[in-house]
Amino acid sequence: MLGAYGQYWRINVLTTLEYRENFILWSLFTFVYHGSAIAALWIILNNFPSMNGWTFRDMAFLYGLWMLAHALHNTLFSNVEGIPERIREGDFDRVLIRPLDALFGVIATPGQFFPDELIMALVYFAAATWYSGIHVGLGFVTIVPLIVAGGALIDLALNLIVATLAFWFVRVDELRWLVLQLEQEFTRYPISIYSRGVSFVLTFVLPFAFMNYFPAAYFLHKGDLALGLPREAGLFAPLIGLVFVVAAYAFWRFGLDRYQGVGH
Amino acid sequence: MIATRRRFRFDPYVQFMKKSMAREATYRFNIFTSLGSFAVRVYLLRTVWVALYAHNAAPRGLSLGAIVTYSTVALLLGLVLDIDQTRALHDRLHDGSIATDFMKPINVPLFFFADGTGEVLFHALLMVPALAIALLFVHITVPPAGVLAAFALSFLLGYFVGFFLNFILNLTAFWTLEISAIQLITTWLTDFLGGQIVPLVLFPVALQGAVYALPFAAMFSTPLLIYIGVIPPARYLESMAVQAAWVIVLAAISTVMWRAGSRRIVVQGG
Repeated sequence: MLGAYGQYWRINVLTTLEYRENFILWSLFTFVYHGSAIAALWIILNNFPSMNGWTFRDMAFLYGLWMLAHALHNTLFSNVEGIPERIREGDFDRVLIRPLDALFGVIATPGQFFPDELIMALVYFAAATWYSGIHVGLGFVTIVPLIVAGGALIDLALNLIVATLAFWFVRVDELRWLVLQLEQEFTRYPISIYSRGVSFVLTFVLPFAFMNYFPAAYFLHKGDLALGLPREAGLFAPLIGLVFVVAAYAFWRFGLDRYQGVGH
Repeated sequence: MIATRRRFRFDPYVQFMKKSMAREATYRFNIFTSLGSFAVRVYLLRTVWVALYAHNAAPRGLSLGAIVTYSTVALLLGLVLDIDQTRALHDRLHDGSIATDFMKPINVPLFFFADGTGEVLFHALLMVPALAIALLFVHITVPPAGVLAAFALSFLLGYFVGFFLNFILNLTAFWTLEISAIQLITTWLTDFLGGQIVPLVLFPVALQGAVYALPFAAMFSTPLLIYIGVIPPARYLESMAVQAAWVIVLAAISTVMWRAGSRRIVVQGG
């Protein structure tokens, strides 16, 4: 399985080199996508010194943590988003007749993938951490990778749940788009600005708050957290990611066992 | 050309428009999700601006009410202005069916305009339920009739700026078939530099000259600033003249590109 995965990345890199112009344009889009979000935050907080006690320095770090987790997810698991289309086209059945696990088969379908977003995210995160004045010690360096991995798993779990719905409903692409929109827009600001109901959803139902808000509040020593949770809540991000991904995988297996093809 | 010039008839284009409206109406789930996402965005903008105004003074004379009105109307305009309305051109270039379009007794660019207008009109109708949803979350100030009329005219000009910008993007498919990345980049830049996300008056003063000079400001910012009264009646003529100038420049670029592009198709034989 590891050998197959190595081959998958070899083909990805070769494909990217083949379509160089296209790769440059997509990287440029990624840059504009994150750049405009950060620039908008900067402009807003130029006019207003703070938002619920969070300054631009804090929010730059908040964005960096989300960007890193999201980029890690996009680099490793973006094929999961394509499952609904593959089911619709009948192409999904190909991964079912292979000897390896079906989900692995999906994730390791070669395409034009390259870790450009992850590299951008790492550079931005390093800059934002320095800018926010967080003390970078051994603790920070050990905890951050775990939190980022947890965040990527939260992203993966939600994507997998939406993709699994495609076994029953043919068109779920719009739903996936809506979930992504909720994620990118709601994680941009401290969760404490939202009403109790919305904060509850973002913490326990679609737990985006664990991708960045709670961990950032821990590192930045913020008080008065959303839902009155203790400051250490952010340290549970890896555990929450793991639990959600196991639940999503169980749901995926449940759907897979009942899948009979779309009738091609 | 052997075919004799026929008298121009308007009604086929009305039919194209009706067809594309009917096509849009069939995607019910899309309508449902786009209204859902609209509701979420209105909630979000209200929460964000309320949180910002709670502990800080109003910047540059913009009250909370004005900025919430601005952002909500901006989202409503986005329902119409963010549409990839001449996508059909790109699709037909991609699958080659553009060749048969040239054989039909129609004006091809006008066909794309009619097709796009149908889609736009359908989405304009969506503004009614969207407005009703928005009013559940926010209060929108309605300006006097004169201002509203100027806003409507400026919005129309902004719509044509958007139309030609979109047409130019899809025209590039004559030369390079992969345009989805360029398209997304443009949409993101339009929303940000057009002042849909953050009003351009809040941008740093040093950057304002540059952003106001771009065509994106003519799409969103000008009608919106007229609506909330930041652009006073004395400056209507000047602001709309800039918008009109952009329409003319972009229309001229589209014409040149269309001529060059369609000649290419004939040379290649489809």
